[in-house]
Amino acid sequence: MALKSPEVVAIKPEERELARKVLEQTTLETELTERELRTANLRAELGAFERRYLHFVGARYAELDELKARIAEQLATEQPDNDRAQQAARDARARANETKSAAGERAETAPRAFEASPEMKRLYRTVAKRIHPDLTSDREDRAKRQQLMSMANEAYEFGDEMQLARILTEYEHSPEAVQGEGPGVELVRVIRRISQMRSRLAEMEAELQELLRSDLFQLKSRLDEAHEFGRDVLQEMVAKVDEQIEQAQERLKKPKTSGEQRFS
Amino acid sequence: MGAHDTSTTTQIERTGTRALAVRSSALVARGLRDLARDSNWLIKKVFTGRSQHLAISPVGQVCAISEHVHHGTAQVALYDIELSVPTMTLAPPGGEVSHSPDAGVVFSWSPNARYLAGASGAWPAGLHLFDLQGKLYLGTIGASDLSATNLAWSDSGDFFAATSRGKRAALRVWEPRGGPPGGDAARELATPDWLEPQQAGEEFAEEGSFGGYGKAIFSPNEEALASVIEIKGEWADDSIMVADVTKLSRRKVFEARGHVTDLTWTPDSEQIIYCAAGQAYRLEPQSVNSEPLPFGAELCVCHPHLPLCVCFSSWLKNSAKGRLFLMDLSRSTAFDEYPAEGVADLKWSADGSRAYAVTRDGMAYIYEPPLI
Repeated sequence: MALKSPEVVAIKPEERELARKVLEQTTLETELTERELRTANLRAELGAFERRYLHFVGARYAELDELKARIAEQLATEQPDNDRAQQAARDARARANETKSAAGERAETAPRAFEASPEMKRLYRTVAKRIHPDLTSDREDRAKRQQLMSMANEAYEFGDEMQLARILTEYEHSPEAVQGEGPGVELVRVIRRISQMRSRLAEMEAELQELLRSDLFQLKSRLDEAHEFGRDVLQEMVAKVDEQIEQAQERLKKPKTSGEQRFS
Repeated sequence: MGAHDTSTTTQIERTGTRALAVRSSALVARGLRDLARDSNWLIKKVFTGRSQHLAISPVGQVCAISEHVHHGTAQVALYDIELSVPTMTLAPPGGEVSHSPDAGVVFSWSPNARYLAGASGAWPAGLHLFDLQGKLYLGTIGASDLSATNLAWSDSGDFFAATSRGKRAALRVWEPRGGPPGGDAARELATPDWLEPQQAGEEFAEEGSFGGYGKAIFSPNEEALASVIEIKGEWADDSIMVADVTKLSRRKVFEARGHVTDLTWTPDSEQIIYCAAGQAYRLEPQSVNSEPLPFGAELCVCHPHLPLCVCFSSWLKNSAKGRLFLMDLSRSTAFDEYPAEGVADLKWSADGSRAYAVTRDGMAYIYEPPLI
């Protein structure tokens, strides 16, 4: 029996390049998913902190500013000929309305701090890897993924595991999930994905920096630092504003008082 | 090939980064601000270096002599007190710099902070005027050799006054009617002829003689102008003159105890609070009755519509440090005091929601009353 010569499998240059690019894409996918998770975490933490801050402190500022506006209006009534007192009352009323609008409606239950479970993080990673808009080069598919990714971010922020799973299932069953074939086209597709992922990574870095520079992050950091030393600064802020509210209520009860009582 | 890529000729649209939507940015900034304070006073460093003379605007800016010299002329730097950032530098166009020792540095902001009037020994002689909104130098007003010691605007901006000391001591009033003052003064009061002969002084002034006009301030109703009549001599007593704004005719003169360092009208235009020889007093111009208040103070400014006065005293009991404090004029009591040194100017914001104090070394103390 004659020996067969070994079959020589010729690898086309585009296939070699595709293999190299796929490896690069895989590495970037992992990095993108991790960065996306990190940004989503920070966004979610800040979002939850903002809701808590508005619930506990913002609502009190709104109450305080409302009382201040009433005090200013009372003073204006006491001094009908004083233009400055009239103007001060108008300014105080405008400020109170502004604060009320910024503080929003107070929820019945106190919002909780953001905390993602390991399962939640795992699920988010899976979702991000599967539906991230930068992992496709198809225009329509990309639009759908953007919408789903936005929903996924929101679900993650609110700790809605069911919704995250639903988003994943919805995408897996959609026609857009069907992959194309052929090394040449696939290579083009992969190169585009890599380019998109790199752009997205740069965008995410910018967003991350923006979040880190925000007043909200500064405030949260101050509270977190104090928390490590056993201080609940949010509660201290609440107590401080409550004290001012109490003083303002006292002031409103008195018909006409001295400058100090009017003031502090 | 079964690839479904159909966008080879079209650029893929990129969506913007989803930034954090902070609907509450003002409330967050307020929280940060409140965290930084341990009383109703908030302390900030506004500028570095030192400026012996500065003036605070009714909208929370301060102008101070800058350490920078441009084309041989000293510049004035403007800073935003709240943000602690420089906003502008000013200097009149070059010219012969005055070296008169009497030409002190003085600034005054118009009530809406649009105009700044100023004079400096390091500037060409005269009283210079700037339009800060238009970023324009408007020129000088009054006589070219006018060396002002104090400048004042009335609350509405309808009147502007400049006082001076020395041989050409005078109290001058312009009527800019909300715009910039210009030209010569509408009215001028030179050496008061009603002073006692020994006070009027001769060319070479002696102890106890008339030195000039010091701080002047319009009453909130803009009917009266109170000005310090400075009498030379370490132990001499200054006087406070209250004049009619429209005629600049003297209504009342009251002799103070010591040199008057500051004075301010109460919001109802009925009383004057003044500081003389480190002591605060209350004066009723109608009856010329004066009573000492139980506080030491060198600077004082009344609130625009409440019976309150923010004061600075360079002396604090049992301490070399000074203090800022609020004075309740209804009950003659002090509250919300805070240690501070070297305060050069005090001012309430136009709406009365804040009081500003700035020291010569650039520290700003912002008083934010909790109920206003």
